Amino acid sequence: MNTNLDPGKITRLLTLSARQLDQNTLSALSIARHKALERQSVRSPFFAFSTGHGTHRLLPNTAHPWAITALLVAILVVGTGFWQHVQEQQIDETDVAILTDDMPIDVFVD
Amino acid sequence: MRISAVGLFLLLCFSSTLASAESISWRALSPEQREALAPLDQQWDTLPKAQRSHLLETAKRYPRLTHEQKERFHSRLEKWSKLTPEQREAAREKYRAFNKLPAKEREKIKQMAREQESARKAAAASSVPPASQLR
Repeated sequence: MNTNLDPGKITRLLTLSARQLDQNTLSALSIARHKALERQSVRSPFFAFSTGHGTHRLLPNTAHPWAITALLVAILVVGTGFWQHVQEQQIDETDVAILTDDMPIDVFVD
Repeated sequence: MRISAVGLFLLLCFSSTLASAESISWRALSPEQREALAPLDQQWDTLPKAQRSHLLETAKRYPRLTHEQKERFHSRLEKWSKLTPEQREAAREKYRAFNKLPAKEREKIKQMAREQESARKAAAASSVPPASQLR
């Protein structure tokens, strides 16, 4: 018996075997397939990116959308706060520089 | 549970912003802050909160200044505090633009400014009548 089966041959054998199945088994398999596809579409990742080699999840599927939204809002708030802090620091540094520079303040003030 | 944790986190983020804008009276300032902001002792409590917040930040840098810089800081502080926010912002813009100029050009401008300043002082001194004429 030849045991070297190539993938094409396996596929053909499976197709042939499937044809030999009775109608009840075929319809049960069809229902199971549809259910599996429905579950897959429901579980599609909320945040994901594609690299061409498939979809990669950024967050686990178990994370609720509201939790992810809250996390994004928190990141936004912290990011904005940090950016404001940096801006304020730059302003304060400039103020000290103007107030201490050897150039008279009138040069910069209208 | 998760909602309250996120809420608490957001509250902390906002409270830190609010705390920085909190009004601080002259009496509540530390001796170091009062020393740095001494020229403003009379008007401090009347200044807008945002301006006080900025001035307190500048006061933090005061101890690191040289003696000469401290003198300049004190002599300019009152005038600076009386400017409008728009005037201060315009001054900052001019200062930033000035600092972007090449060193040679900056030195030229500084020299011109020094000459103008000394001419202005000389003119002011000559316009004041001598003490003998005032009697």
